[in-house]
Amino acid sequence: MELTWEIAAVWIGLALAATLISIRIGVSVALVEIVVGTVGGNLLDLRLTPWINFLAGFGSIMLTFLAGAEIDLQVMKAKWRETLSIGFASFLMPFLGAGAFAYWVAGWSVEASQIAGIALSTTSVAVVYAVMVERGYNETEFGQMILAACFITDLGTVLALGFLFADYDWHMVAFGVGTGLALWLLPRVTPWFFSKVGSRISEPETKFLLLVLFTLGGLAQAAKSEAVLPAYLVGMVLAPLFLANKTLAQRMRAIAFTILTPFYFLKAGALVGWGAILNSVGLIGIFLGVKVVAKFVGVWPLTHAFRFGQREGMYLTLLMSTGLTFGTISALYGLSNRYITEEQYAVLVTAVILSAVVPTLIAERWFDPGSRPGEEILTRRRSDR
Amino acid sequence: MWRKILVGHDGSEGAKKALSVAVSLASQFGAELHSISVEEKLPHYAATVGEVLESKQEAADYFRKITAEAQQSARASGVTMHSHVMPGHEVETIVTFAKDHGFDLLVIGFMGHSKIFGRIWGSTSQNLTKLSPCTVLVVK
Repeated sequence: MELTWEIAAVWIGLALAATLISIRIGVSVALVEIVVGTVGGNLLDLRLTPWINFLAGFGSIMLTFLAGAEIDLQVMKAKWRETLSIGFASFLMPFLGAGAFAYWVAGWSVEASQIAGIALSTTSVAVVYAVMVERGYNETEFGQMILAACFITDLGTVLALGFLFADYDWHMVAFGVGTGLALWLLPRVTPWFFSKVGSRISEPETKFLLLVLFTLGGLAQAAKSEAVLPAYLVGMVLAPLFLANKTLAQRMRAIAFTILTPFYFLKAGALVGWGAILNSVGLIGIFLGVKVVAKFVGVWPLTHAFRFGQREGMYLTLLMSTGLTFGTISALYGLSNRYITEEQYAVLVTAVILSAVVPTLIAERWFDPGSRPGEEILTRRRSDR
Repeated sequence: MWRKILVGHDGSEGAKKALSVAVSLASQFGAELHSISVEEKLPHYAATVGEVLESKQEAADYFRKITAEAQQSARASGVTMHSHVMPGHEVETIVTFAKDHGFDLLVIGFMGHSKIFGRIWGSTSQNLTKLSPCTVLVVK
């Protein structure tokens, strides 16, 4: 007999412990959950049941949906040349660089190398955003352009994850048609539906969005694609609605962060074996180095082309080298579908976590452009909105 | 003696004592009084922008509350206080603000950390005293 409630108590206990630690040390709960998950996986023999796998998968869909819904399309349109080129280069170079290193140097299989390329191609919008807010850059044109470029990089990541391993048969046609129709209809149908049902305790708005995400996720799964791809795209097309409806965004975040994402991040950590990390310390360091160098190759020349200053260029490139959520999602996808081994998963997730921390610390410590806008300007910009 | 006074205010007991001294000095010398609160608890390495946004909102609500209380207490003593809430690192933000706005006195509350922490990093009050461009009054 499966001890469902006992297992649930252990997982939620770890999630609570991670939350308390994160509040105490001021580090994101996601990162702490991964670390606590590794402790649970290595010391407590955390059990993965089908319902935990479901909650974790649901958590990854919600994370990508919320990430897509946070895009400010206005900024993207206003600075489309810089945003598209920097964002695309920031995806492509690490994807090719890390993939090539994994295949030719580390001797990984083609599929495993593709997963390595995808996992290390990401940029963490949230990591970058926190730095921007603390320094006041999120109110500047420079900061908003960086954030928009990060979204393009992540779009590249989910597209690669969604299409590289898919089967190109009639299932893919159904998935493509279904997703295309949904993306076309949702910006029209959703506001109409929301205005009809209104905001109620029975949450018809949230249920409607979950129906869309699960249906498209089902089509993606049938085509051997990945459910996070439609989730991100649906988030993107509904972003203006979410920016206007803060209560709905808050509710969906509350659902996600209470009972879904803890299972995802704890699971992502629990599958990382300490032995594999110890055996591959050098390889992890090299993967991190390859990611950062490839980001420099792709992004740094463009910062010059767009006439950023020396420090601004270095700062931007280092921030674009960060990664967390999409990196772990890609690695977990690879492991779940047996494209990578448990050792390779441990290497990739550790490199991804380090990429959230190391480039940020270097950027803040040595390359802060120091052009933080004055308080009066910030106040004026806020009141202009 | 003092023309422009800045008081660091994070809502702690030490900060409340500092505020009370700053208000009485401003009243005594007819000085311009400003308070600064620094939001420095944003989660680092977050998973979604929403996580950062909500933390920022919680911090904003907290600072709005303590700022309103501080202004009320200054008003009760007949002093008008200008309040500023800024994101960033506490020491760096206060020092830069004091420098940029030409304050001649910075009033802060004493914040005790553990001995080990204090020895390795220095407390916030120690660092502010060391780096401030103007005279610093640490209230205990």
